[in-house]
Amino acid sequence: MERLRERQGEAITAAILAGLVLVLLVTGEKQSLVIGTITGAAYGFVALGLVLIYKSSGVFNFAQGEFGTVAVYTLYLLDFDVPYGIALLGALAVAVVFGVVVERVVVRPLFDAPRVTLLVATAGVALLSIAVQVWFGEATARPVDRALPTLDRVTLLDVQISDQRILLLVALGVLAALLAVFFNKTNLGLAILGASQEPTATELMGISVKRLSTLTWAIAALLGGIAGVLAVPETGGFAPGILTSSFLIPAFTAAVIGGMTSLPGAFLGGVIIGVIEAVAASAPVFEDLPGSPGTLLVFIALIIVLTARPQGLLGKAG
Amino acid sequence: MATTVERDRPGGDDRPGAAAASGTEPGVRARFTPSPLGWAARGVAWVALAWLVLVFPLSREGFELQRFSQAVIYGIIGLSLNVLLGYVGQISLGHQAFVGIGAFTSAYIVTEQNLSFWAGVGAGVAVGGLQALVLGGVSLRITGLYFALVTLSYGLVAEQNVFQIEELTGGGQGQPAPKPSGFESDWRYYYLCLAFLAIVLWVDWRMMRTKAGRALLALRENPRVASTFGINVKVLTLLAFVVSGAFAGLGGALLAHNDTFVSPETWSFNLALVFVIMTVVGGLRSRAGVVIGSAFFALIGYLLQKFPALQDGLNAIPGAPDLSREIAPLVIGPILLLVTLTLFPGGIGQQIRPIVGWLRGRRFDLRDRGPKEVQITDVRA
Repeated sequence: MERLRERQGEAITAAILAGLVLVLLVTGEKQSLVIGTITGAAYGFVALGLVLIYKSSGVFNFAQGEFGTVAVYTLYLLDFDVPYGIALLGALAVAVVFGVVVERVVVRPLFDAPRVTLLVATAGVALLSIAVQVWFGEATARPVDRALPTLDRVTLLDVQISDQRILLLVALGVLAALLAVFFNKTNLGLAILGASQEPTATELMGISVKRLSTLTWAIAALLGGIAGVLAVPETGGFAPGILTSSFLIPAFTAAVIGGMTSLPGAFLGGVIIGVIEAVAASAPVFEDLPGSPGTLLVFIALIIVLTARPQGLLGKAG
Repeated sequence: MATTVERDRPGGDDRPGAAAASGTEPGVRARFTPSPLGWAARGVAWVALAWLVLVFPLSREGFELQRFSQAVIYGIIGLSLNVLLGYVGQISLGHQAFVGIGAFTSAYIVTEQNLSFWAGVGAGVAVGGLQALVLGGVSLRITGLYFALVTLSYGLVAEQNVFQIEELTGGGQGQPAPKPSGFESDWRYYYLCLAFLAIVLWVDWRMMRTKAGRALLALRENPRVASTFGINVKVLTLLAFVVSGAFAGLGGALLAHNDTFVSPETWSFNLALVFVIMTVVGGLRSRAGVVIGSAFFALIGYLLQKFPALQDGLNAIPGAPDLSREIAPLVIGPILLLVTLTLFPGGIGQQIRPIVGWLRGRRFDLRDRGPKEVQITDVRA
């Protein structure tokens, strides 16, 4: 019985996933399952960075999307002059530098401030980043090169899946697993967790909490950058603030559904949100709703999870 | 509220439009009395301030005067957000939805239902209060960071679902919202907005001077301690939400009739961030600061246009293209926000305290920084 209670989250998750798949197969929305999973992977990727920051510093990082947008913008600019691989490395480097600068200039002075102050500050960073992109370029979408150009190698349930999408899915899975190992097994990972729970005690153990904070933001920015360069070429290209406007809210919802502190939860939450949106876009039931029904359903899902199970599917209660 | 107890005032009770007589209040603070010359100087300052607010905008007309009305309305919106952020300690990242729904409600009532402007404003206020009540109910269960996320998501729903209802918004071309009869000219409408701002300031001031207001502040400091003292947490939180929503609805309705037109594209997430930024930069719990901060953000574009030196200074940044008036608030705003949060957490309200104190007949005291602790809220998530 005790064990069952411990495993409650996993049980509910399995039940929800099974139910979702069953409903989709019965109603003939099989394609939504595939489309949803591959869009959801992109949300999950952004959510992974959100979870990392929340797990290590308790901050809702509204600038996470911008780490990705900055990387995509750099990739777009560099891609004219240098080979794709080098442009990609440059893009990720810029994202990491951006993350470290944000940590130094904004997060560190507010180390002891309430977490909501930090939320406002990161939202400010996001707005500044978007405004600067609009300022320096025009607010039009530009196509960005894919890492893998083949579009129709794999076909599943009548949906063609590009190699880029598969790369995204694989990269997400591998990185989520690596991060889980990092937090559970390595000293550095444990130190980051310790710093978030008991900063003073961690400091007394001879660990520099501030250095850990820089490291965490650098990793999060790297994740955001990878998410950006992998996901954006699939969605019509770069536009100022693209990851903030079209990925951040679904990603946050995904992270909350997954349980804000759970890395696999972020992945799962992303897939759930992706499937919900895909169904909303294709199912005839929602046709009469004004605007995009996906947004409304995601909002409802968020409210349901927060009121019924605030710790999320795989998060720890309390 | 008799004058028996002279207590510490929370934040700022500083009203920019208050009568010059406020310095003559009887009370404990009368230890320092300015010399006749000092009074004269203060009088001149008050007259100059009154001229700036009441007379100067009248020398402008048309589009420019509408920007001044917009600044006044932004003051109302800033005060609305101040109730949530400053008094309740809940952050709303979807305030553009509150304001926008107020705007569309009023435009709909006036244009589609052929009712009067006053009915439109009344409906805007009512709808604003109602949606805030519902979201307030949610916030009783969901606090802090998670509530911010809910409001953000709510703002997106408003943008992508509610504002896509053609009957309400008039489709892509927007909903017309004519100016009320008797206030057709821009300067009359400007005074109407000022009158509404005065009412909002008065309601806000009265609310914070009553038992409920003080209880609200205690609640923000520490909800557990507050409820031990018999404060009804739920009722007070909901009350504050309704007040905030009603202010926002009012601001939206006034904004609609100021532009004589509401378009669905106006109400994006960027606007919500501008609202939060102007309130925080203005200084939470400081009425004067919030109004000044909000007016500043409404007028940035206008100021850049009127003072080409500012525009040239911005354009002189090497390697950067010209900064247009539309983008300028979005670039300057976040920088000011980050500077405020990291270096001057009290915002404009804290910086102008010596001046406000002097205007109210006190000594000019540069060390007057007000209450020490100024923060947005406690973590309750």
